[in-house]
Formats: sequence, C-alpha cells, structure tokens
Amino acid sequence: MNRTLTAFIKKELTQTLRDVRMRVLLFGAPIIQMTIFGLALSTEIKNIKLAVFSSPGDALFERVAESFYASGWFLRAGHEPAEDPYELIASGRADAVLIAPAEGLARSAGRGGGKMQLLTDASNAAKARAVESYAKNIIAAASVREYGARPEGTFRFDVRVLYNPAMESSMFLIPGVMGMLVCLITIILTAMSLTRERELGTFETIVSAPLSNAEVLLGKTVPYMLLGVIDTALVVMAGYLIFGVPVRGALWELALASLVFVINTVSIGTFISTVSRNQQQAMLGGFMFLFPAILMSGVMYPVENMPRIVIAAAYLDPLMYFVRLLRNIMLKGGDAHVLWTNLGALALMALFASGFAYKRFRQTLN
Amino acid sequence: MNGFNIHRAYAIARKEVMHVLRDPFTLALALGLPVLLVTFFGYAMDFEVTDIKLAVSDGDNGPAARRLMDIFSSSGYFRLAATGPDTEPVSMLDSGRVSAALYIKPDFSKKVKGGDQVEAQFVLDGSDNSKAAAVMGYLPGIRRAAQTRLTGTAARDLLSIETRFLFNPELNSRWFTVPGLAAIIIGLLAILLTALTVAREWENGSMELLLSTPVRPLEIIAGKLVPYGILVLAGVFFVYLVSRLVFGVPFAGSHLLYLAACLLFITAALSQGLLISVLTRQQQVAMQLGMITGLLPSMLLSGFIFPVESMPAFFQYLTMLLPPRWFMAAARGIALKGAGLGELAVPFLALGSLSAGMLALALKKFKTDLE
Repeated sequence: MNRTLTAFIKKELTQTLRDVRMRVLLFGAPIIQMTIFGLALSTEIKNIKLAVFSSPGDALFERVAESFYASGWFLRAGHEPAEDPYELIASGRADAVLIAPAEGLARSAGRGGGKMQLLTDASNAAKARAVESYAKNIIAAASVREYGARPEGTFRFDVRVLYNPAMESSMFLIPGVMGMLVCLITIILTAMSLTRERELGTFETIVSAPLSNAEVLLGKTVPYMLLGVIDTALVVMAGYLIFGVPVRGALWELALASLVFVINTVSIGTFISTVSRNQQQAMLGGFMFLFPAILMSGVMYPVENMPRIVIAAAYLDPLMYFVRLLRNIMLKGGDAHVLWTNLGALALMALFASGFAYKRFRQTLN
Repeated sequence: MNGFNIHRAYAIARKEVMHVLRDPFTLALALGLPVLLVTFFGYAMDFEVTDIKLAVSDGDNGPAARRLMDIFSSSGYFRLAATGPDTEPVSMLDSGRVSAALYIKPDFSKKVKGGDQVEAQFVLDGSDNSKAAAVMGYLPGIRRAAQTRLTGTAARDLLSIETRFLFNPELNSRWFTVPGLAAIIIGLLAILLTALTVAREWENGSMELLLSTPVRPLEIIAGKLVPYGILVLAGVFFVYLVSRLVFGVPFAGSHLLYLAACLLFITAALSQGLLISVLTRQQQVAMQLGMITGLLPSMLLSGFIFPVESMPAFFQYLTMLLPPRWFMAAARGIALKGAGLGELAVPFLALGSLSAGMLALALKKFKTDLE
C-alpha cells in the first residue's frame, strides 16, 4: 500500500473517532444492546397467567391445576367464582383459563371422557401455540400419575438436543443479534458520512488532490471496514465473557467471515450514498435496506418457513449468510461445507457490490 | 415577544411541507415504504415450523421402521432428507443439511413384534432454538400416532383437554404480525424523519438564524413536527387498508380509539425524534442514535414476537420506556379483542406521559442551549 493512501486512511479514521458521541455509539452501544437483548429475550414462553374454574370439591381437578402451577410456566390469576372466563381473558387479567367438566373431572374420566376445556388468548398466535403444547404435556403427565399403569404405551422417543443441550435462547440469539448490530452500524456509518461529504462538497477538494479514484474510495471506505471488524471482535468477546457463548470454531474463520461481510455492507452503504442527494434520502435508503435484511436474516424466525419467493429474496441478503456463518462457527465449530458455501456466496456478493459501488462512485465523482 | 403564535408555527410548517414536496423521493418513500414492507413481511412471516428436514439412520430396515418413517413424513411437519443404513446424521446435522435425525436400532421391528418396550433415538439441532422448541412440541403427537400404528393398541388418555383459541381461532400468524409490523415501521419512520430534519437545521446553521428571528422555540418545534405527523398518519392509513383488505385482519374495536392510539403513538415517536435531534445536532449521529433506540428495541423488546411477560422482571419494567410496547398492546387489543377505553387506559396514559416527558426534556435542552 502506498504512503499517501495509508495516511489518508489514518486521517479518516481519526476524524470519525474524534467525536465522543460517535465513539460511544460505535463501541459502547453494541455491547449494551447485546447485553440487554441477551438477558431479556428468550424463545421460551413464561409467566402465563392461568385461571381455573371448577365446581367445589373436585379434588382431582385441583391436583391437575396444581401441576400447571408447579410446572414453572404458569402463574396464578385470581378471579371471582361467578366471573365470565371470556371476560377474564378479554380484559387481560388472564392469558388462559382451564375449565373442569361440570360433573367433576373424576366422574367424567370414569366414563371415558375426562375432557377439560382450555381457553387461551390467541391475540399472540405464537404464544397461544406454546400454551397449548405446555398444557398437553402437563395433562399427559397428570394422566400417567393419576391412573398409572403404562398408559404411555410401549413406544417412546429418547430425545437428545445437540450443540445447545439446555436449549438456552441466548446461545442462539446472541450470534444473530451480533450480526444485526454490525450490519446496522456499518451501513449507517458509510451511507450517512459519504452523503454528508457530498453535501458539504469536500469530495471536490479531494478530487483535486493527486489521488486516483480507487484510492479515494479505498481511503474513504477502508476505515469503516476496519471499524466493522473491530466491532465484531468486541461483540464476540462480550458474548463470550457475559453470556458464555462459545467460539467452537477457529478465530480466523470468524475474522474472515466478518471481513467479507463488512466489505458487503460498506459497499452497499457506499452505493446508497451515491444515489442519495441528501442525508435524509440516505437515511431512507438505509432503512429500506436494513429492515428487510434484518427480518429475512433468520434471527427472528426460521428462514425455511417463508414462502418460496421470499426465500429467493433471502438468498440476496448478506446478513442471512453472516448469521448462518456466525452460528455455525460459534456453536457448531465451523463445518467446512457450511463455511465455504456461505463464505463463497458472501464473497461473490462482495465482489459485485463493491464493483458496482466503485462504478457509481467514479461516475458521481467525475 | 409573546406566547405561542399559531401563524408563525404555520409559516414554519409550510416551509417544511415545501421542502418535503420538493423531494419526491423522500415523499414517495415515506408514504410507500410502510405499505411495501408491511405487505411483504405480512406475507413472509410465519411462525408455524413445517418442512423440518429429518435424516434417518435405519439399522433395522424392517416393516416397523418403515412405518415409523412414514408416520414422520405424513405428519405434515417433517420431510425425510436421507434414509438408509449408511446415513451419517451427525455430519448432516453439523453442516445444517438436516435439522433433526432419527436412529432406529437393528432389532426395532423384532421388539415391536414381540410387544417389548422399544425406543427410537431422536436427535435435534439445538443451535436454532425457535425451531427446536417447535419440534419438541410435535413429538408427543408423533409418539401417540406411532404407538397406535406400531402396536395396534391406542394409548389410552384418561384426561385430555380441548383448546379454544380466543380472538384468533385459526391461529393465523398474520393477525398478529401485521399490526406489529405496522407499529415498528411507522414508529421508526417518525423518529428518523423528525430527528434528521431538526438535526439538519443545526448542521446547516439555519437553526441559529431561525432563533434570531421572533419565532419562539415551541413554534419552531410545532411547525417542524406537525407536517411529519401528518405524513406518518397518511402512512398509517395505507397500512390499515392493506392489513384489512389484503390480509383480512379483523377489526373488533372502535376506529376512533384506534385513531387516538395512533395519534398518541406518533406524537411519542415524533417527540423521541426531536429529543434525539436536539441532543445530537448532527444528522449522522442522529440517525445512528435513532436506529439504535428505534429499530432493534422496537423489534425485540416491544412484545412484537417475544412476549414482554416472558422477560425477567427488570426488563419488563425497562420495556415500559418504549412507546412501541404500549402501542403494540393497544393496537392488538383494539383490533383483535375489541378493547374499550377501560382496558386501554394504561397504554394511553403511558404513551401520553412518555410523549410529554420527552417533549419537556427536548424543550429544556433546546432552551439551555440558547443561553
């Protein structure tokens, strides 16, 4: 690398980091956010407010209801005996209501029914699904306990969960959140600051300096790539220290993946800046990219579930590949097949994105 | 100089409207983006996990093993990706080509025939929790079906439940993702638009100029916020049309209450944007701060997907500072449950006080900067 370029990159780097607020936003905010999300979020549904309705003296039903509360997923929701169960849920005082058969559970079971009714608030459909599946498991266990004698039958599964045996949500969410944060920061940083320079007209000054177009572009973008890679390293370290999220694969794989990913996002940021006339437009452009990229990354819900057309769109999302790589390298130890196919796809996209950004950049410069 | 003068505020607002109208790109995006994104993701997001790829290592190769595989593939949730004795499920799980694996031991069919206690090992990829939890939920049903079909004796359940899903009987995911998506997109857009427009004035130095005129700070703020408020409200209207007409989201409650909720939420988002712009005074920093406080928290902490009640107590309190959390509750309550003013009092009060608090902070900072 020639000396002018190195000096140029150094100057850009110090300029970006001179502002205290920028330093906080670049290095402090990702760690704080990751900590908050890691602690707060869980894919497990908990604290479900359950109310129970039965005729007095239904001892069997009371034991069943008790096993709901003992499971740790349900909380007691109090109510008046004469209250309408529907109203209880509509007003939000209960998420679910368990109702015993009118004749009493033991008698109903004796006649072969034993059917209780569960009303759940399905205004959050995902939560309602979880409530039903918990309830079914609890009832099945209660059935065995009350009536003994192998009603479970002779066939069963021996279930084992790999890579994350305790099914801790943070293990799986943190690599995803990392990817989102790095994506967000690098895109905004590049798109906004390059557009700002265009607004201020500083590019004209640079053009008159003895630097080639490619050198100008490199001088402007390499600092952001460096910052992106440093940010990845920071969040990986924080994930390991705070949440014990392991890095089972090699560190160089992680470094390579983040470098190729950051080249993608910085190129996209540069492209956004070349089509925006002011920072407001750059902001909208950034938003237009970031929102879909985050939703299609597979962090919030599995990508494979989406309709085919949308899956096709997700294959154009660099964040999806990066999140896959992060999860595979960190949790599974980096399978060669996954590593090279996803890295290959990312590299190909980086090539296209940077080539395109360079072409646009040269046009706007001249 | 006297109190608030509506004409001066109006003049500022007119200037802002001209600025937006002169820039068709911004106008089109501000109006079109919410509808576009809600339509696309309303269609795309689905929380029911199906098409789970399953590898089977079949050491038995007998009739019972084949029947077990058939039960998996006909359940509608699983797809057999590889079967046979040479399958190596672990390497397939490592590379992510399958999400689950089934091991059947050589004497499986013999044991089933003899009526012995028999088991099959089921191995699950735990690196994707949302999927793993769903698969775990399907297993009891599969086991029950297998019990019946393998041994011919149905598992007798003396106790059972019948579930009724209130407010969304068919568990249509769209009914809860679409209103949630709308809240996130609209809130974020309102924050970013205001944050940038006020920060721009500081950056250009035109704020100093404005302040040297008789215009009062409150008039500047009102003049700046109201046009964007109207722009965002227009976006809400389009999103409402899409969610009703395209996705068939029901609307059980009062439209007037919904409008009130939207207005309160937009005010809160605009106040947040204003506060950010006054604090940062630079568009780039404002955008970073807007995205950081607006995008991820509203997606992850507002109850959009991850229910607030499942969070640890401290974080449940923390989410109370987020306007989208309250709007999410209000919007779902009105649309799906037909909630009335009684149930909405808390969200409304919270949105109102958050707006007032942020506005007051912004104004205070604004005024101290002048001295």
